[in-house]
Amino acid sequence: MAMSRWRPYLLGALGLAAMTFPFLWLELRPDFANNTVKVAWSPAHGLKFFDDLLPVFVVAFLIWAGVRANRQWGWSDALERNAAWQKANLAGQHYWAWFTMPLVLSGPFFLSASGTGLLTNAGIYMVLALGLNITVGMTGLLVLGYAGFFAFGAYFFALTQEQLPYFPWWMAAPLAFPLGGGVGYLLGLPCLRLRGDYLAIVTLGFAEAFRETIRNLDFAGGDQGIILHDYSMFRGFAGIHSGTMCYVVTALTLFLAVFLVQRLYHSPVGRAWIAIRENEIAAASVGVPVVQMKLLAFSLSAAIAAVAGVIYAAKDGFVSPAMCEFQQSIMVLAMVILGGLGNSYGALLGAGLLYLVPEYLKLLPSTIQDSPALAALVPASVRDSLQDLSNYRLLLFGAVMVLMMLQRPQGLLGSRRRKTEMLHP
Amino acid sequence: MTAQTLIEILINGISRGAMYALVALGYTMVYGVLGMINFAHGEIFMIGMFACVYALGVFSLMWGDHAMVNLTLAMVVAMVFSAAYGYANERIAYRRLRKAHVLAPLTSAIGISTFLQYFIFLTVSKDSVNFPRYYSDWLTNNHLRLGPADVTYLQVTILGLTLVIMGGLYYLINHTRMGIALRATAQDQLMASLVGIPVNRTIAFTFILGSALAAIAGVMFSMYSNVLVFDAGYRVGLKAFTAAILGGIGNIPGAVLGAMILGLTEALTTLQFGSEWNDVTTFGVLMLVLLLRPRGLLGERVADKV
Repeated sequence: MAMSRWRPYLLGALGLAAMTFPFLWLELRPDFANNTVKVAWSPAHGLKFFDDLLPVFVVAFLIWAGVRANRQWGWSDALERNAAWQKANLAGQHYWAWFTMPLVLSGPFFLSASGTGLLTNAGIYMVLALGLNITVGMTGLLVLGYAGFFAFGAYFFALTQEQLPYFPWWMAAPLAFPLGGGVGYLLGLPCLRLRGDYLAIVTLGFAEAFRETIRNLDFAGGDQGIILHDYSMFRGFAGIHSGTMCYVVTALTLFLAVFLVQRLYHSPVGRAWIAIRENEIAAASVGVPVVQMKLLAFSLSAAIAAVAGVIYAAKDGFVSPAMCEFQQSIMVLAMVILGGLGNSYGALLGAGLLYLVPEYLKLLPSTIQDSPALAALVPASVRDSLQDLSNYRLLLFGAVMVLMMLQRPQGLLGSRRRKTEMLHP
Repeated sequence: MTAQTLIEILINGISRGAMYALVALGYTMVYGVLGMINFAHGEIFMIGMFACVYALGVFSLMWGDHAMVNLTLAMVVAMVFSAAYGYANERIAYRRLRKAHVLAPLTSAIGISTFLQYFIFLTVSKDSVNFPRYYSDWLTNNHLRLGPADVTYLQVTILGLTLVIMGGLYYLINHTRMGIALRATAQDQLMASLVGIPVNRTIAFTFILGSALAAIAGVMFSMYSNVLVFDAGYRVGLKAFTAAILGGIGNIPGAVLGAMILGLTEALTTLQFGSEWNDVTTFGVLMLVLLLRPRGLLGERVADKV
């Protein structure tokens, strides 16, 4: 009896092992003399793959154990039912901004320069995730070329700075917002009248076409991109370090974006978006202007991405076609999904986790090496596999996206109600 | 433009289009049956490319280099591998999410696609791998005279294989029990299961069939372009998916028509502006078709989707 329960899992594992066998355990050896190819048995190859992923397996097992324990003893249910917690939670939601805003803005005072830089990047990703969340999470439309709008904003900034000598730098972001929104509107116009899937492919095609165009145009710098001469545009302010200035601008943009999105989400517009996500036909039949609302959501998120692009270009002083690669779009999508589709704070959390965790993992080995106590505690092999782990980032994103959809489609910060909506519409 | 270049451009475009068509069929069949886009299909194509090269290596160790025999067998191996990956994709990313919100299976399929891309990136090669020319030389170096133009044996093979497969597919869908089951499942899954059609098996069969076709396209494509990269599936998959939308997604003749149009557009773009503008013109054609005929060129009949 016990055997029959495990049989499908056993068969599946055997099947997966057979399918991945050549790629993991064999090595291709091109034979250039005869223009043929030889294959060699190389167990070290496959063993390295599993060895590098060992920390991931350990963490995955711990998470699995934690979830099982929670299901067994109902910790999270008890917390949700606790009256004091509910009250604190509600009150906190209204006043959180007044506590976190000064804390976040004072970040540069107690952080190192590299720490400030990391947090600035994380902030830009948060703005992006927040924008994408409007279309994917709130309105239920899939966008796969979101990085195209990000790159659009960045190139808009770089080109206006390089080509128009008297263009003031502070005009770029206010102009990028309507321009990005306009591009989104034009893209959405033909395909939002149709099924939602078409938007995914049209935006994907847009990102690719945009990348090709900027790669092939000479004045856009080609493959190398553009390096801005007057590097950071935020330097002009009396003696403040440019990294600090970028951090503050990013943080203020982020707060503005959160405010805007949250106000919209709790307005009739937000209700209309949710209605479209849940059931388009029902929404249309109660008078929601479906196409207009979809267009609004999509152009708004495109506009936010363009502003994020401007900030990114102003911060790094460098733009390149690599900015609108598919991986970028996928990374932002993974952030939104991990955090919780439709939840703005979830998008912030997802962006923070997916950007900062790999970055800190990259820094971790050198941190361990620098501190004698840690170096004695952590064996060298573990340190090496931590070093390699950052290569596996996108592989893990893929796996997380699948597992998330199967086990917790509402994301990390999602309600149980959202889970039922996702699985049984 | 002389007649010779015109014919060569046409043949180039049609043989590219034929390869896109083989991939586009997989997209359109899955969409026809499930009403969902299979985003991992491009990666199944890429797995077919790499499985073929691995099989060539293994065969040459086992019994030496017999170019045509090994190539044919390697193609079969590639089809088996791709089919296995396609089936796994259906079991993992689609089966449990079949009744969920549209976004859920789409996201999990994108997850599978990213996973497979970086799996190959990490385990096989970060850079491109060359297709072993020893096996493809006979096909690419020999020509057939067609009026003033030359056609390589490879192009003839691609066109011939695509025609045979199209015929086979037409027969399968219209004249076999499996085809009836496919069409019934596409119309109404619940109803099909009530009259005793094994819906799960039928859907799995659709994935397996589409994946095997993608593997054939993958082998042909790797001989045609001579390089294998881990993200080839994403590029070709995007083109094939565009082709499926051009023709009207869910419609099998539409997918082939769309792929041919796309192949010809690419060939003409290469002639006129250079191949680096291919993605831009493809996107232009897609937007134009969506503006003028939102359901695609042949996608008007909603009832019979397969």
